[in-house]
Amino acid sequence: MAHDREVAGIRCTDVLAGLSEYLDGELPADQVSRVEAHLARCDWCERFGGQMAGVVRALREQLVRAPEVPGDVERRLLERLAEEPQ
Amino acid sequence: METPDALTPTDQALLERIAKGDRRALGIFATRHQGSVLRYARSLCRSEEQAEDALQQTFVDVLRGAASWSGRGPVRTWLLTLTRNAVYRGARRRSGEPAHFVPLQELGELAGWGADPETLAGGSLDRDRLRSALAGLSGASREVLVLRELEGLSGPETATLLGLSLAATKSRLHRARLELAAALRPEEVTDGP
Repeated sequence: MAHDREVAGIRCTDVLAGLSEYLDGELPADQVSRVEAHLARCDWCERFGGQMAGVVRALREQLVRAPEVPGDVERRLLERLAEEPQ
Repeated sequence: METPDALTPTDQALLERIAKGDRRALGIFATRHQGSVLRYARSLCRSEEQAEDALQQTFVDVLRGAASWSGRGPVRTWLLTLTRNAVYRGARRRSGEPAHFVPLQELGELAGWGADPETLAGGSLDRDRLRSALAGLSGASREVLVLRELEGLSGPETATLLGLSLAATKSRLHRARLELAAALRPEEVTDGP
């Protein structure tokens, strides 16, 4: 196992389990304070949490815009819809 | 309800027009949403051809279903549900899903939890690298990331679309993020369990 220790009353594995909910602001308030106390004193989890936040942020920023639909795909779509009976 | 600018009708207004047989409204609606629909279809399909079939079928289903659209809930959630249904009607069953369940801790370790800092995902997380990593994930992971992170659906909307509980949807999203982080680690890292 990589590491797992109890810091600020919560184990690293529990921080890992709740990390996405923490990043999304969906963790209950009492758990947020415990996770943040853990992160403040656990370099491993703080570093990993920062990495996960960076990956999620990059995904949203870089790929949020839907790719251009190729012109021929759009043309075939509109042709199909024009042919479709009501 | 129309927006103040009549040239940019809302989705709801377009659906009302489509329900009355307005093909021009259908064209506007399709052009507006085709990018999102195609991206989602690609996340579910194994080929570009299947994704294009699902794209077309989605908007055919919009034409057929506009009159019965309830008006409750976001249009985009309804639209992407039509896409999902179109994909499954075409393929019946998605293949390529992971055959075994990887424990969360193991997924975390693959993503670099507890590893040396230089082996974590990082560097330039540019569009091509992210797109490639996303494409390499399992279908279920790719799907939930597209819905939540790219299409911006809420947790409850995503859960409804996937037919899962909210808790199961959150779990799937968390595991998908870990899979993505693992895929973005430097190639020379081989210290997984």
